Amino acid sequence: MSKIIKDIQNPWQEDTAKSITFIVTKDCQLACKYCYLVGKNETERMTWETAKAAIDYILDHEEDRNFKQESVVFDFIGGEPFLEIDLIDKICDYIKSEMFRRNHHWFNSYRFNFSTNGINYDSEKVQKFIEKNRTHLSIGITIDGTKRKHDLNRVYKGSEKGSYDDVVRNIPLWTKQFPEAGTKVTISSADLPYICESVLHLYDLGIKQVNINCVFEDVWKEGDDQLFEEQLTELADKIIDGGKYEENACSFFSENMGKPLDCKLQNNNWCGAGRMLAVDAAGNFYPCTRFAQYSLRDKEAWIIGNTKDGIDENKLRPFLTLDRCTQSTEECKDCEVAEGCAWCQGENYDAAKTHTVFERATAICKMHKARVRANNYYWNKLYRKLELEGKREEFEQNKPTNKTDIC
Amino acid sequence: MKPYLQYLVILLDDTSVAYCHADNPLKERNLMPIETLKKAILFGMKQNLMIQYVYPEYELPAEYDETIESIDNLKIGRDVKVTNEVPAAVDCDNIVLRIKIKDLIAKQYDIAALLPNVKRMNICLTDIETFKDEQIAEYKKALNTLGAVLTSLYKEQKHPQLNILTDRLTLKEMHNCEAGIGNITVAPNGKFYLCPAFYYDEKTGVSNKMNYKTKDASRSVGDLENGLCIPNKQLLELDHAPLCRNCDAYHCNRCIWLNQKLTWDNNTPSHQQCVIAHLERNAARDISAKLSEAGYNLPEIKEINYIDPFDVKEEW
Repeated sequence: MSKIIKDIQNPWQEDTAKSITFIVTKDCQLACKYCYLVGKNETERMTWETAKAAIDYILDHEEDRNFKQESVVFDFIGGEPFLEIDLIDKICDYIKSEMFRRNHHWFNSYRFNFSTNGINYDSEKVQKFIEKNRTHLSIGITIDGTKRKHDLNRVYKGSEKGSYDDVVRNIPLWTKQFPEAGTKVTISSADLPYICESVLHLYDLGIKQVNINCVFEDVWKEGDDQLFEEQLTELADKIIDGGKYEENACSFFSENMGKPLDCKLQNNNWCGAGRMLAVDAAGNFYPCTRFAQYSLRDKEAWIIGNTKDGIDENKLRPFLTLDRCTQSTEECKDCEVAEGCAWCQGENYDAAKTHTVFERATAICKMHKARVRANNYYWNKLYRKLELEGKREEFEQNKPTNKTDIC
Repeated sequence: MKPYLQYLVILLDDTSVAYCHADNPLKERNLMPIETLKKAILFGMKQNLMIQYVYPEYELPAEYDETIESIDNLKIGRDVKVTNEVPAAVDCDNIVLRIKIKDLIAKQYDIAALLPNVKRMNICLTDIETFKDEQIAEYKKALNTLGAVLTSLYKEQKHPQLNILTDRLTLKEMHNCEAGIGNITVAPNGKFYLCPAFYYDEKTGVSNKMNYKTKDASRSVGDLENGLCIPNKQLLELDHAPLCRNCDAYHCNRCIWLNQKLTWDNNTPSHQQCVIAHLERNAARDISAKLSEAGYNLPEIKEINYIDPFDVKEEW
């Protein structure tokens, strides 16, 4: 049982793959209320010329330290990436043929990855693309849980109409094609009452891995942490009492969290900003998509280069020297439950008092602490149950190594 | 000891001389009002700061003299001569030579010839951002030329100081520019800036990434009425600079204005700044070895196999 969980919780070549993101469009059918993409629009669509220039630049620089990783994941995001399926198909064909022609070290060690709202997943063009690239493809459909939870935020642009019905009809096809795929659920203040029912609903839909996280923005109200803890405790009971931990996983519950961290031995940065590369319709490069202008409320885009002039290595140096303690407050450094507390480098930058990536945003603090309490409850209860059933040893041997949060 | 605020730099006029990396692009006179000057001096006295006046080229009105001399001071542009050209000869003990890298390389022998006649020369490279790795050999050669002259003079028991080579000989810890930490600048408008370069940027509308909301043009960090207010001040300190806190190019200026300009983060030096500082550090090491043979007792400068600490950051 745990083998399944272990496989689906470790993204492909996570530690050795370069992540390259094509922001193919800044348009989307939806206008999700919690979306951090504040600058979505219908005009910034990537052209084939820009995409080709980006691919040529990347493959031309095979020996550069920015591109020497063993493997590569080409991410396609938007807006909604599948709005540009024709362009994506052309990009993927070109990447494959060029890697083969150049005998590039990424040939046969590549992946195409998509995060989609799932609305046109069953369209002929998308299905044809999936069929063509099936062996090198990962697709995640975002469904937020029950209809009332999903439709609370994930509404159509220009209306309040929820998108649940148009997404859920594609889930059976998706889980059939990608049985190990997980969905990404976002929690904002208004979603808190629906966490438990939503995770269980997603399990019922056949989605085994639920990657769920609270937004990093400063949206949390008085009492939200208490409500969050109650929801997670209820969810823990339902998962454990119902035996759902055998087949399913929820990223809110992780053994590797809630302990103090050492500033010398455990000083790594949380995310891969700077080690990733994103390119947009203008041909500009970013350390991650969160540094593109459409993701930023108060700061200007952190452009590290472009397809014509290449990458300005100086602009990457802050990202590649980031560590946990330098950017953390004294309270964070001394925190007794620091382990597993996540941050988004882009949100840190956007919320910072100055132009820096070295100031950690702490809006999520009380939610993390609530999560730790519920998480402790989950593992204490689960292990006691396994102990009484004589299954603890088996579980310990095969227990999943969980990545607790996702970007 | 952790650096603390010790110096108050007072820009007497918008056209006060540039004395560090940044050029002063301001051409129109804008003299600090005498009442502002008095407030700045009062601030300095109450904070126990050493005053450093930065003078324009023109003579100040006579009524300023009494106010200026109401406190101990150093006069940049007067006591310390600042030049943008390599002079044929020097007529002062302390000189700041602001020069482009290619000119330093081209005029290395002219500069070396000045060393016997100064007590201290500060060389400020004004175009560090243009430095290319292809220039490493040439810059090393220029440093060796200057180092050879210094070594000879020291063996004769003459000890002129050249910041880019001799400072590192005796330093045992970082001694950088320390803008915002060890010194602060007050401009003619009565506002505080981390250093004059930030004031120039504000006046000329250059985005240097300092401000909270990037659409706000202000680069100031307080004013004489309300005092200092430096957001994210901790990022100016050495222990918040991951590359620098492990580095032993102790003499490096660690110019935060250049950091912002080139890497967009206060606490992160550019490749160019690191390489130049390490070429100087290594040249100082060569001098140190020769002087040790001649009987000088100097702290050890270790042999290292990199010129940009970024390349070995994983080992730290």
